[in-house]
Amino acid sequence: MSARILNRDELLRLIDEAARDRRLIGPVRRGERTFYEAADRAAELDLDGPQCVYSPKAHFFPPEETLLTFERKSRSFVTHPVRHETPTALVAVRPCEIHGIRLLDHVFGAAPADEGYLARRRATFIIALDCFRPCRDEAFCGDLGTNTAHLGFDLMIRRLSDPEEGSRGAERFELTSATEDGASLLSRAGLGRTADRADLDAVRAYERSKASAFPRRLSCEADRLPEVAQRGYTSTVWERTAARCYSCGSCNLVCPTCYCFNLRDEVSLDGKSGARVREWDGCQLREFAVVAGGHNFRAAPAERLRHRVMRKASWIAQRTGLPGCVGCGRCDRACTAKISLVEILNTLAREQDHDHAGHS
Amino acid sequence: MTTLDTLELPETKDPYEPVVARLIETEPLTELERLFVFEPSDGQVLGHRPGQFVQVWIPGVGEAPISICSSPTRGRTFELCVRRVGEVTSHLHRLTAGEEIGVRGPLGNGFDMTAMQGQNVLVIAGGLGLAPARSVIEYVLDERARFDEFHVLYGARSPAEVLFRHDLIRWRHREAINLLVTVDRPDEQWRGRSGVVTKLFADLPRLNPERTCAVVIGPPVMFKFVVVELLARGIPHDRIFCSLERRMRCGIGKCGHCQINADYVCVDGPVFTYERMRELPEAVT
Repeated sequence: MSARILNRDELLRLIDEAARDRRLIGPVRRGERTFYEAADRAAELDLDGPQCVYSPKAHFFPPEETLLTFERKSRSFVTHPVRHETPTALVAVRPCEIHGIRLLDHVFGAAPADEGYLARRRATFIIALDCFRPCRDEAFCGDLGTNTAHLGFDLMIRRLSDPEEGSRGAERFELTSATEDGASLLSRAGLGRTADRADLDAVRAYERSKASAFPRRLSCEADRLPEVAQRGYTSTVWERTAARCYSCGSCNLVCPTCYCFNLRDEVSLDGKSGARVREWDGCQLREFAVVAGGHNFRAAPAERLRHRVMRKASWIAQRTGLPGCVGCGRCDRACTAKISLVEILNTLAREQDHDHAGHS
Repeated sequence: MTTLDTLELPETKDPYEPVVARLIETEPLTELERLFVFEPSDGQVLGHRPGQFVQVWIPGVGEAPISICSSPTRGRTFELCVRRVGEVTSHLHRLTAGEEIGVRGPLGNGFDMTAMQGQNVLVIAGGLGLAPARSVIEYVLDERARFDEFHVLYGARSPAEVLFRHDLIRWRHREAINLLVTVDRPDEQWRGRSGVVTKLFADLPRLNPERTCAVVIGPPVMFKFVVVELLARGIPHDRIFCSLERRMRCGIGKCGHCQINADYVCVDGPVFTYERMRELPEAVT
């Protein structure tokens, strides 16, 4: 299905159409900030606002969820599986977040598959919103190539006119589909028109302008990150930087590619029934690597910081072939101690350049 | 008429859904450790490999990863040796025969017994490490013709902490196994060897390093010293198999808790070759 060109009014109608049999989740503004939250109508969403504080992962990987319930019998028990498959339209998801979702799909979909997660994901219709410039200073998606996504969504919106320049009337949005569900909604809704020559020119101008709109922030090429991180394993940057880390886990909380979790039991007051619950966990929290008996395999903040950065820059990519960090910059922004992932990576790259220069 | 649309497709097995296992019998091994004999209650077989583990679930309390200490060659039951250290294990210790618990597994890679076929097998176990080692020892004894020489070195801290006494006596009286036992801190009654487990290497015959596989299971401090001994005897890095312990939660390579550098103990391990461990600085700390 070829691209459709919609004006703003038509775009909102399309989103409402997508949400007709689904709950609608998208950027909702609260003060200066936006959050992926439930809305009744597309008009309530802020499609032009800043990056949402949290990534949208919570809407198919909730911070806390019941995996199964159980009842205790006198000397045994029975369990009941729990499934949550609320059809959801997730709207205005940014390319970096699409890359984050693809990683979560890979991890939870790998055998043995997490059927609860997959059920939620299958019930999620994603309308992505492309970025034509960085959404914040901390972002380095342009370096990683995660500022663009070609799959992992149903529909993609590209805003061909800059909202700050063009008048509202001249606003144009290009809609393309990446799935059959997306294509079928687009044709069923029958909104907008097919792209004409002027639209195609606008698309080319959009792509040209986007190509130069993302400044380079990494001091090495993105494909060298796994190697830079590996070679930096024994660097002093971990100690130096972690000296001001509060081990609060804010970086884990906001990250689109953090998916570590804990499992625990909840029991009713009479003790006869309960639930097995999954909740988010974070590798920066002190107890994350404590084993039975009390030994902590990563007791020092420096070890935990290194663990997070190694996962993001190297290990996840090694295991999955997908980027472990999507460059959204949320962790830098969320850090109360102003610890910057980009700065750590650049420091490692710089140290290694010096080493190299010293040896040659 | 039945069409494809009306056929009920079977639900995929939920990896968090435990199977029910019934406790057949239990006996104390030491002050802190008990042996539990379980049977999957739906007539199934666990179908494990030596060195694998299960997530034991006490509904309302939680899960704990426990190594299987019996060999799959021993029928429908499976055995767990459990040290009382936390909430789940304390509840386990209060179970009585006939009670049912939840079990997920078998999980992890286990030992590659096929790779050891035709080779000398040298097992070095320290402390609670004898529990997973027992699954290997019984397996080799039950399939004895498939392996060459069989040596087992076991070290416990004190005579009171020696595990599986009945098994040790039984094994010692079989010619098919050379079993050496030591304790770090002997008492007046102890008539066996004393000292750390590495001292037992002095009593081993010469082994052809190219035809020997080593199985190492014990506390982290033991690994370093045992590996030094094995390397001194020329055993290749890829034939030293170590079993590591971490805080496994999901057991299926997702939750992140048991990660050692790039690897997950629950799916890439718990058995790692020394060759791989050299790539994992966090493996023995």
